[in-house]
Amino acid sequence: MRMDGFKAIAIVAVFVVFAVFAGMLVIYFTNAVPAFHRFGIDVYLKNIWNAAEEPSREAYGIAAAIWGSFYTSLIAVLIALPLSISYSIFVVDYAPKRLKNVIIILSDVMAGLPTIIYGIWGAFVLVPLLRDYVMQFLYDHLSFIPLFSYPPITGYSYLSAGILLAIMVTPFASAIIREAYEMIPYTYREAAYALGATKYEATKLLIGYIKPAILSGFILAFGRAIGETVAVSLVIGNTFNLTWKLFAPGYTISSLIANQFGNAFIYEYMTPVLYAAGLALFIIGLGINIIGLRFIRRWEENVKL
Amino acid sequence: MSSSKVRKQKERIFLIGIGSLTFLALLPLFHIIATVFRNGLPVIIKEGLNFLTGTFSNGGIGPAIIGTFTLTFLASLLGLPIAFLVGLYAYEFPRSTIGRWTKMLLQIMIEFPTILVGVFVMQVLVVPMGTYSAFAGALALAIILMPYVAIYTHEAMREIPFTYREAGYSLGLTRIKVLLKILAPMAKRGIFTGVLIGVAKVAGETAPLLFTAGGLYESYPSSVTKPIGSISLLIYQLVQSPSPADHEMAWGASLILLIVFLGIFIPIRLSLKEVKL
Repeated sequence: MRMDGFKAIAIVAVFVVFAVFAGMLVIYFTNAVPAFHRFGIDVYLKNIWNAAEEPSREAYGIAAAIWGSFYTSLIAVLIALPLSISYSIFVVDYAPKRLKNVIIILSDVMAGLPTIIYGIWGAFVLVPLLRDYVMQFLYDHLSFIPLFSYPPITGYSYLSAGILLAIMVTPFASAIIREAYEMIPYTYREAAYALGATKYEATKLLIGYIKPAILSGFILAFGRAIGETVAVSLVIGNTFNLTWKLFAPGYTISSLIANQFGNAFIYEYMTPVLYAAGLALFIIGLGINIIGLRFIRRWEENVKL
Repeated sequence: MSSSKVRKQKERIFLIGIGSLTFLALLPLFHIIATVFRNGLPVIIKEGLNFLTGTFSNGGIGPAIIGTFTLTFLASLLGLPIAFLVGLYAYEFPRSTIGRWTKMLLQIMIEFPTILVGVFVMQVLVVPMGTYSAFAGALALAIILMPYVAIYTHEAMREIPFTYREAGYSLGLTRIKVLLKILAPMAKRGIFTGVLIGVAKVAGETAPLLFTAGGLYESYPSSVTKPIGSISLLIYQLVQSPSPADHEMAWGASLILLIVFLGIFIPIRLSLKEVKL
């Protein structure tokens, strides 16, 4: 196509955006190189954090933070999924029209609410609540199960972070699932009712139909949860703990960066290690989002047929 | 007969189940808003107007408020023109390779961990300049704002019927004139919505400011090359402080942030509904 005025200007803007994104990847990689030279792949596989004034005694491995990112995000989506599926069914099938609009607006407000507000509420309200009423109870009565065997002293833990993240990503997953659920042609519903199905039975059928969209909602919500920083870093306890135990304090990649970058320049290798952590988050985030978007696009193409 | 009873029973349990789960999903919002008002309002009432204008040691968050507005304004200034052009490009060339990649990139950037943007800007701007600055913070926010505005622009333009574009070209207008004089004004409501949503989003961002803006709460910002504060950043720092007095300030600041956010967001959402009806 011939180059015209618009294309010439717009392509520059597009180029700038691509350059910023590529620049980010390059910056993370080049700054992480010293960490790879020194520690090799161990920087991702070991759980160790020795900050020493002498570079020769420094040793870092961020396995606990990578684990924490995955673990908290997994808790989050496992809680968020039943909530957001129920929400979608309720909004589309059951809610009267006026209530429906209100519920959708509320969910949108939740999705956009500044994360720091979730953070302050999480740290001062949610964590004490969970510690006193949920964790303590489970620890007292079920601590023979390894998941519950860590004494909930402060309440800052994987579970707290997971639940707070679940609250934050539920509206986001809901939006994706609701849209897919609304897109199901009405004839399917009519067909189900014509066979004498109750609403419950019809819904069971229809939910099966949107499984791919639910899966992509799950993946994209996971991707959002894994990148969340300030709210998580206020409730997770910021401790290098590589464990399944729900009540143990932990770390995530983003909270590690938020907490340690400020004073990392004192140590020779800490900054490169944090860039390596950032690179890991970059690649995980990119991969998860590409997979999630692929799924949803394939589903949309299928529905159009 | 009894099987039909069982089925009806199942139906009832199902309805109660999803109703209560939906309620449970939205409950935190009410609790958050109520808690922020309950804890924040007394602080603001106690300090009065001084809370909005005073410096931190005088019991106010004035510099943080100004900082948030400055950062948001600068970020819009940097990000909006580029975002608008990128959105138009993705709309105008949806089938070209670059067009497809652009759309994919925008969708990825909207989901991208924001702290990574902050660290990136720190490395390319704060380290060479040797100081935190309002400009660095605004650049980080602009990168985050961009995909929202671009995607909304793209979507808003797509809703305009193709015939308008044909009419424009048949009048002999160039592509740039068709886009900017005919199509963009028709889509302005959608584009404007995207701008406001992007602005509301970045006004509440914290993570990208951690290593770029630096924070400034004892005096008002004077230059874009100097450190600057923001309400969200201030809250983050105050929550981590051990002092209860700082926590009170954090709740007060949260209430201000919540009011700013709801003040931008609710009108957008309500006006959107009008468009659909």
